[in-house]
Amino acid sequence: MSEVPTSEIMERTKTIELRVLRYRPVSDHEPVFQAYQVPYSDDMSVLQVLQSVKDTQDGTLSFRWSCRMAICGSCGMMINGDPRLACNTFVRDLAPNPVTVEPLRNFPIERDLVVTVGDFVKKIESIYPYIIPKTPKSIEAGEYLQTPAQMAAYESFSDCINCMLCYAACPQFGANPDFIGPGAMALLQRYNGDSRDGGQQLRLDSIAGEDGVWSCTAVGVCSDACPKQVDPANAVNQNKTKSALDFFLRFIRPKDQGAGAKS
Amino acid sequence: MSERRPYVRAQPRDWWARKPYLGYTLRELTGVGVVVYGGILLAGLISLARGPEAFEGFRSFLTSPLSLLIHLLLLAVMIWHVVTWFQTMPKTMPKLIANGRHVPQQKLTLAGVGIAAVCSAALIAAFLIAGALP
Repeated sequence: MSEVPTSEIMERTKTIELRVLRYRPVSDHEPVFQAYQVPYSDDMSVLQVLQSVKDTQDGTLSFRWSCRMAICGSCGMMINGDPRLACNTFVRDLAPNPVTVEPLRNFPIERDLVVTVGDFVKKIESIYPYIIPKTPKSIEAGEYLQTPAQMAAYESFSDCINCMLCYAACPQFGANPDFIGPGAMALLQRYNGDSRDGGQQLRLDSIAGEDGVWSCTAVGVCSDACPKQVDPANAVNQNKTKSALDFFLRFIRPKDQGAGAKS
Repeated sequence: MSERRPYVRAQPRDWWARKPYLGYTLRELTGVGVVVYGGILLAGLISLARGPEAFEGFRSFLTSPLSLLIHLLLLAVMIWHVVTWFQTMPKTMPKLIANGRHVPQQKLTLAGVGIAAVCSAALIAAFLIAGALP
């Protein structure tokens, strides 16, 4: 790893062919591929190659990015057919073959590599993405305490960076765009699995039915695509069990339970 | 310049036959193999109920080369079904925590496949012993 001194800027001695699926809503009837020959060095990510194209060859190329270190979740795209973070994918691993870059699958294309994220944001909002205390306390009464084991129960689900790679990997989301999907379910499980939270019933009510967990057929590719090992497939599928149990338990459950955390 | 015209790409009809999903498709198809084998067992049960003659017919079918071929194929399908079933199982259950840490999913899969293998071996051994008894 540390053979190359980090202070030294590497020479871009090699060239890679980058094939980008372009779509300009004003002038293009449908997306078309455009190829660029880009000089690169072994330390460059696909994102850096895209930035190089935008800087030196074609300023009209549009793509989202921010942190360059796989934590903001902005630069998700299909690289050689797989959903990947462009900042986390290195050209040296794909060269010398041409690299194909497309916008995330299963999402409407706004422009070039930029997709529509509005529906995804709405889904995240729909699952009450905040802690709803079981018994509200005043500030004077102190913190809500949690043991390390209680934290371990949900912590991995809080690692989600909303990059939507799991949605691009999910064929059931491709077939039913209203499916709540893996990412939002990981966030739901992050709160439902939290020992301080009391909003489980409220969230369970929001994911019953075909557009809830039941579009999932446990394909499992979402978890393979996740760059943060969140395992969204686990979040969706353990909630299928809970949703099924809830379906039968609703007959014997007191009516007012679960509506306790009304906002 | 600010005109919005989002372009929706259709999902290919054959997505299930493509690379990352083919494993899933094959896994689900093994369920058909399980049904077929269940059908064979049921046919045996029905022949048994119909009397000794019918059951003898069923037994002679079992010893035919075609039946052997079918059973070898079904055995392979069933093994794949078991392995992939236990690969999927950890994804469908809450995270197991032992000593404050997650139990790795691979361990759960290994344990499941191991238990299934031991049970199958024990069953075969029990039949062999019972068959050898006078």
